[in-house]
Amino acid sequence: MDYNGLLNLGTELGCQLMASGAEISRVEDSIQRLMQAYGISNAHVFAIPNCLMVSLTPPTGEPITRICRIPAHGTDLDHLELCNALCRTLCQDTPPLEQALAQVSLVPDGRPIYSDRAIILGHFLVGAFFTPFFGGNLLDSLCGGLCGVSIALSTRLLRHIAGSSAFFRTLLSAAVSSLLAQLLVHFGNAGNADAITVGALMLLVPGVSLTTSMREFMAGDMVSGVTRLAESVLTATAIALGTGAALALGQFL
Amino acid sequence: MTDLLFNWLLPCTYAFLACAGFCLVFNIHGPGILICCTGGALGWLVYLLADFVTHNVILRFLLAAIFITLFSEVMARIRRCPVTGYLIIALLPLVPGGGIYEAMLHCVRGDTQMFLSALVRTMGIAGALALGTVLGSSVMRIAFPIFNRLHKGSGGPSHA
Repeated sequence: MDYNGLLNLGTELGCQLMASGAEISRVEDSIQRLMQAYGISNAHVFAIPNCLMVSLTPPTGEPITRICRIPAHGTDLDHLELCNALCRTLCQDTPPLEQALAQVSLVPDGRPIYSDRAIILGHFLVGAFFTPFFGGNLLDSLCGGLCGVSIALSTRLLRHIAGSSAFFRTLLSAAVSSLLAQLLVHFGNAGNADAITVGALMLLVPGVSLTTSMREFMAGDMVSGVTRLAESVLTATAIALGTGAALALGQFL
Repeated sequence: MTDLLFNWLLPCTYAFLACAGFCLVFNIHGPGILICCTGGALGWLVYLLADFVTHNVILRFLLAAIFITLFSEVMARIRRCPVTGYLIIALLPLVPGGGIYEAMLHCVRGDTQMFLSALVRTMGIAGALALGTVLGSSVMRIAFPIFNRLHKGSGGPSHA
């Protein structure tokens, strides 16, 4: 048996799971199951949000290890579902290693992804429907949608300019959207600036990292839990600072 | 009638459609979209209904979070999919984005007392959501093996 190939298969699948935003316990558990399905019971897997280490000792006695650094990533739930399903089938059928590795490396290309237009529509929907949720009327809802779109565009643009600093990106996007909301209320006839701002801000709120962080704590992965908790506190601070700046500017209108 | 429409039906519809927007943002396809949106809408309905039981806002958020967690865990086990996706999206309408904004508004206006009280309330709601997911999943972790044992053969590995 090609143990290096098995190690690569496990690491590759684990990397993809991590990059789609899976919890640590799921990643570690999936790789462990995969190794067991292929007859390795002494594999060790350790992961924290941006690093994955897999080590195993084949019967020949020479231990082999692979470390993989996970780049900054978003959350792609469809990717996560596909990887999870693939891991199940691999564990059940244990196809030859080359075939399995080919299947794993095909996942990122073959899966359905929404077009940019659909994603912007998604931002519009979130802004447009959270605004009446927080007490806006029909016109406010439209403005909320526009602010949502402004968040989509500014995060995209800032990814090229401000680099990978998520804190700064969130701060600026929050500021842009809040400022736009105030301008729309001032010059347009929209009534409820608070509802518009909050509705659009729901796009930036760290709900995902807060929920995941709690799940990590529950599974006993304290390091990852603390990392994600810090991430959500930082994001919330960035939103607060950005909105605060826009509100302060808005007083001059 | 209008009371029913404006206080109950419309907010839940808004939550449903906003969750649909998040499904596009987080790349969810197929029947998962319907599950996430239904989870979000029902969660908000539970929050509204909890008003009959208690007037404590934080407790209402806690009840809603527990309900959403149970709902998404059950759905994930039925569809044999990771629970993360359903849970994340369905919880989003409950996340206290309004609290962050309100706190900042008072801060900019220089009203420290209101700022602090809004901040504490926001943190309370975030804590309630966290506690709710923890409680909900723990209940599922205890309940599901028992359920599986009762229906032997029908359930598979509960690796959801």
